[in-house]
Amino acid sequence: MLSIKNLHASVEGEEILKGINLEIKAGEVHAIMGPNGSGKSTLSQVLAGNETFEVTEGEITLNGENLLDLETEERAREGIFLAFQYPVEIPGVSNLQFLRTAVNAMRTHRGEPEMNAAEFMKLAKEVSKQVDLDPAFLKRGVNEGFSGGEKKRNEILQALLLQPKLAILDETDSGLDIDALQVVSKGVNALRAKDRAILMVTHYQRLLNHIVPDHVHVLAGGKIVKSGGRELALELEERGYGWLGVKDEEATPSAAS
Amino acid sequence: MKPAPTLSSAFLEPGGQSLPAPLLELREQRGTALVDMPLPTRKTENWKYSSRHLKLSDELASTLPATGKDGLSLSLPGYRVVFHNGVMIPEASDFPDLDGIRIQRFADLDDDEAAGLAERLDNTLDTRAVQMARLNSARFEDGLYIQLDKEAVLDQPLFIVHEVTGTASGSAYPRIYVDAARHSQITVVEEYLSSGAEPVMVDTVTEFVLGDGAQVTNVRLVMEGENVQHIGATGVRQASNSRFESHCVGFGGPLRRHDLMVRLEGEGGECKLNGVVVTQGKQHYDNHTSIEHVAAHCNSEETYRNIAADESHAVFNGRIHIHEDAQKSNANMNNKNLLLSTGAEIDTKPELEIYADDVKCAHGATIGQLDKISLFYLVSRGIGRREANTLLTMAFINELVEQIPVQAVKDAAQLRLNDFFDQTFQEA
Repeated sequence: MLSIKNLHASVEGEEILKGINLEIKAGEVHAIMGPNGSGKSTLSQVLAGNETFEVTEGEITLNGENLLDLETEERAREGIFLAFQYPVEIPGVSNLQFLRTAVNAMRTHRGEPEMNAAEFMKLAKEVSKQVDLDPAFLKRGVNEGFSGGEKKRNEILQALLLQPKLAILDETDSGLDIDALQVVSKGVNALRAKDRAILMVTHYQRLLNHIVPDHVHVLAGGKIVKSGGRELALELEERGYGWLGVKDEEATPSAAS
Repeated sequence: MKPAPTLSSAFLEPGGQSLPAPLLELREQRGTALVDMPLPTRKTENWKYSSRHLKLSDELASTLPATGKDGLSLSLPGYRVVFHNGVMIPEASDFPDLDGIRIQRFADLDDDEAAGLAERLDNTLDTRAVQMARLNSARFEDGLYIQLDKEAVLDQPLFIVHEVTGTASGSAYPRIYVDAARHSQITVVEEYLSSGAEPVMVDTVTEFVLGDGAQVTNVRLVMEGENVQHIGATGVRQASNSRFESHCVGFGGPLRRHDLMVRLEGEGGECKLNGVVVTQGKQHYDNHTSIEHVAAHCNSEETYRNIAADESHAVFNGRIHIHEDAQKSNANMNNKNLLLSTGAEIDTKPELEIYADDVKCAHGATIGQLDKISLFYLVSRGIGRREANTLLTMAFINELVEQIPVQAVKDAAQLRLNDFFDQTFQEA
């Protein structure tokens, strides 16, 4: 489904990604782990098409189509979804209006009729329940005044509504207490499907206890230095990154939580 | 040194005569005082950014003819009064005869009523600060005099539609005077529209005098065409415990200028001034507001938003003057500005003069662009650029649009905003 070949990307002239190769097949769940500053978030942003990052070399294809030729919104309509590490607050735009506009943009792209306000409200309420978010949050400004956990649940809510082909979860577990982590994990697991792939970017192993990945990759210094199965994440939890020749001064993968 | 330009004598020709004698006399008196009136230049502080857009060519001096027909098909809820080129058109107007409320055109006043009005006209205005309002006082052809007796309540909004017809060049001088006695209530909506394409100037003055506990809401929607220079002044005087609310929504033109002056003269008075301005192309819009806290224990709350696209220019000047005796005043002024292009310009200036020592006075002004991260967030959900930009721009003014208490005005403003968004934002 997703194929990344020799991807190089830089921000303001500084190269962050230095030749990433990654193949993800439909139905698979991949986890990318790595210390702070290794380029994990950059990879997510580049996949979603953030123009702050410049791709200098390499290619990304989604089901054979060159992703780098597409604008951010076109990528989204082709099925790329990024759950933001820091979801953006947009006061003045109601969450409901935002979600309906997004869903209808997708439907229009697929040649389906738009959903009217009443139809959409019904759907949004149902999906809200799935991520344990009070429907009252639909009426508030986008992420406005939401707690960290509420923001993350709102991201998963969007993924469930938009039904992407590839969902990229950028540090979706950060800032969540254990209850919120379980709710979010339940939402992500509900996304698992044989025609959908999930790419989780995370610093910590604990999310992987709830959402079990098929493949784990270690990103360091802008490259994938090690790939393996689920056992790799457990090994990282025990041994840190040091044995891979990777420095992680800020934190070893947390066993604490 | 070049002498300062003065008002052309063409503007001082006597206008139409269909007014009661006391108002004709007043007009003549005001006209005499305008001989050789210096016109604002860029050295005139309150016209610094706008004087070069004020183009008073002699062809604008002629009074526009009253057309006597309803040019725009309007279906407005509530009561309505239609002015064409500054003259009221009775057959297009529809308002009730209610106990305690008199809505009369100037031309229909008897001499006693007219004499009473003549004594009061201009008394809400600082005519040094509103040079062009003086021209209105010398030129008005007709007007509307609204009187509410004590405790009278107008049960629906009164729409006053001012249309100018640019089939020939000229100027119009609409005039409104609202006298709201104690505990009376009224909502006055002013809509400024135009047709035709010849250069036209509208120089309009509206005055509100609020008695104790009176509640007046004024909605002002400025939507004239590219051929129209619009200069407006609104003067407000408030007695104790009265409340005045203003909602101004304006779209740009070659020159748009509005001076809004509020004097809080009795304790416990409150005013709320909201403004939204949208400019594009090479348009120019200048809002000057002034709130005078004369008496103690008054509140003022002011929120203005400017959005400037293309090479347009918006100006906000907000003055708050807290007089020596106005202890316990509470004044809050906020002006936020959004630049949608690198060629656009916005100038904002808060002016605070505080002479009392026990007051709360806050002000804030910002100028910014649409937030790139918010835009990325929206498009990353498949929302198109045009729609995403539109959502973010509406978010900037939503709070003010939502507060407009008259649905028909909200709808009309939204239609114009949609045109603006269509013209301003493109897909990637």
